[in-house]
Amino acid sequence: MPKLILQIDNRVLKTCVVDQRASIGRLPDNTVVVDNPAVSGHHAAVFRDGDHFVIEDLASTNGTFVNGKRVSRQRLQGGDAVRVCKGTHSIVFDEQGGDGESAGAAEAAPPEIAAAPGETVYVDADKHKALLAWIRSAQAPAGAAVLRVLQGQADRSEYSLYAHTSVIGKSDAALVRLKGFFKPKEAVAIARSDDGYVATVLRGKTRINNEPVRERQVLADGDVLEVGGLRLEFKLAG
Amino acid sequence: MAPAAAHFLKSLTSIEMAGMRLRVGARSHVGRVRQVNEDVYLLRARQGLFVVCDGIGGGPSGELASRVAGDAIVARLTGADADVPVGHAHARGRYLPRTSMLAEAVRRSNERVYDRARHDRRHTGMGTTVVSAWIAENVASIAHVGDSRAYLWYRNRLVALTCDHSLASANANNDESALVRALGREPEVDVDLTEVPVRSGDYLILCSDGLTRMVPETTVGNVIHELREPQRISDRLVEIALGNGGVDNITVIVIEVMGSWWQRLSTQWRPHAGGIPNAEAHPAD
Repeated sequence: MPKLILQIDNRVLKTCVVDQRASIGRLPDNTVVVDNPAVSGHHAAVFRDGDHFVIEDLASTNGTFVNGKRVSRQRLQGGDAVRVCKGTHSIVFDEQGGDGESAGAAEAAPPEIAAAPGETVYVDADKHKALLAWIRSAQAPAGAAVLRVLQGQADRSEYSLYAHTSVIGKSDAALVRLKGFFKPKEAVAIARSDDGYVATVLRGKTRINNEPVRERQVLADGDVLEVGGLRLEFKLAG
Repeated sequence: MAPAAAHFLKSLTSIEMAGMRLRVGARSHVGRVRQVNEDVYLLRARQGLFVVCDGIGGGPSGELASRVAGDAIVARLTGADADVPVGHAHARGRYLPRTSMLAEAVRRSNERVYDRARHDRRHTGMGTTVVSAWIAENVASIAHVGDSRAYLWYRNRLVALTCDHSLASANANNDESALVRALGREPEVDVDLTEVPVRSGDYLILCSDGLTRMVPETTVGNVIHELREPQRISDRLVEIALGNGGVDNITVIVIEVMGSWWQRLSTQWRPHAGGIPNAEAHPAD
């Protein structure tokens, strides 16, 4: 699968697989996020056109450059270096997209940091703080999903899953409190991750869309959970 | 006594905490190249607290940094004055109170290492990575800084819980990593946090990069699947890392989450005994 490889000072910062379409820009909803004020919100797009890939500038303020040349629309070849702003970063297009490093990256100059084999070195430079902010901005969480009570007795009609982990059970720490002597203290835990919400069944019986859940299941919009006498609908943030 | 029966009796001695039991194994090895083991692990199974630190700075400094950091975290969370919060999770923050407390302990350990490095010229520039897990009430809180990792294994799947704070080198053949975050290098540090619900049959792995750079993830998964017993898994993983070169110190903690005794009787009846019920030491081979 072809990839876009975000590099800074010839070091790989992030690798994004391009399936049909990928976008580059400042806003967090892009595939490749470049958090620099000179970059437009949605700066450029890479998409499949037949058996090859094409980059298109999305009317950006400061332009898109491929191998140093400003382009509005151009076919990409393996190893092409895309730039969307000045600076030490580059985005390399890797057509083969093997597991290893890209052709472009392999040709890059070796890193300045010298270390013996197996040695771990520490890079302390202010620019890496900016890098970290960059990475973090790419992972900005979306709005929280909710559990809507469809049936059964609960103290609320809707529960927001904005915590990292939300528990359904009899425990005092539970978000959705189950009542009754035989109810488990922790029946289900719903954990939020970059990939979505995962329900982990801890004790007792839980069904999702009428199917028993044995261990873990990724929740999809509209899923109906049945746990401890409650029927709850999982709704992603609109 | 039949091995299976011995195993069952042994498993009864594993740690019971808040309705769940943990069985723990761990091992640290200097490796084949280094002279000093700068890795440290700490096990507090009774409290559900586990820490791996991988010191940087060379020789005695790296060793000191990892030990200072590990001890500071454990002291903060298990000391007599430690105020361990219970539940009441979600109300305000994004993380459970326990997770926030773990993060705070890691940030404090950063100050300890930083102060020590600043006031003692012999240890200028020392630092350490850390990965720590605090398990209670079926949720594991994970905090990490650097390139030591945590994994969750369940049903033959190995899931990475941490993302290294390092820049992957552009040169694929160059066996080095450059940390962009470590404890002790700056007065303040960002700690990455995550929470993962755990259930019986799950395994948590904490390890230094000496393991992950020598042993492919698929092998780690296969070893857990095959052996199932935490101490045997730890020993085998270290052996494999040594066999593959052992260029760095190697450290691993394996934590098995177990169900109640009747669940174990039905699902875990295996002819292997072992494990460290409540090991407090951190020997470096």
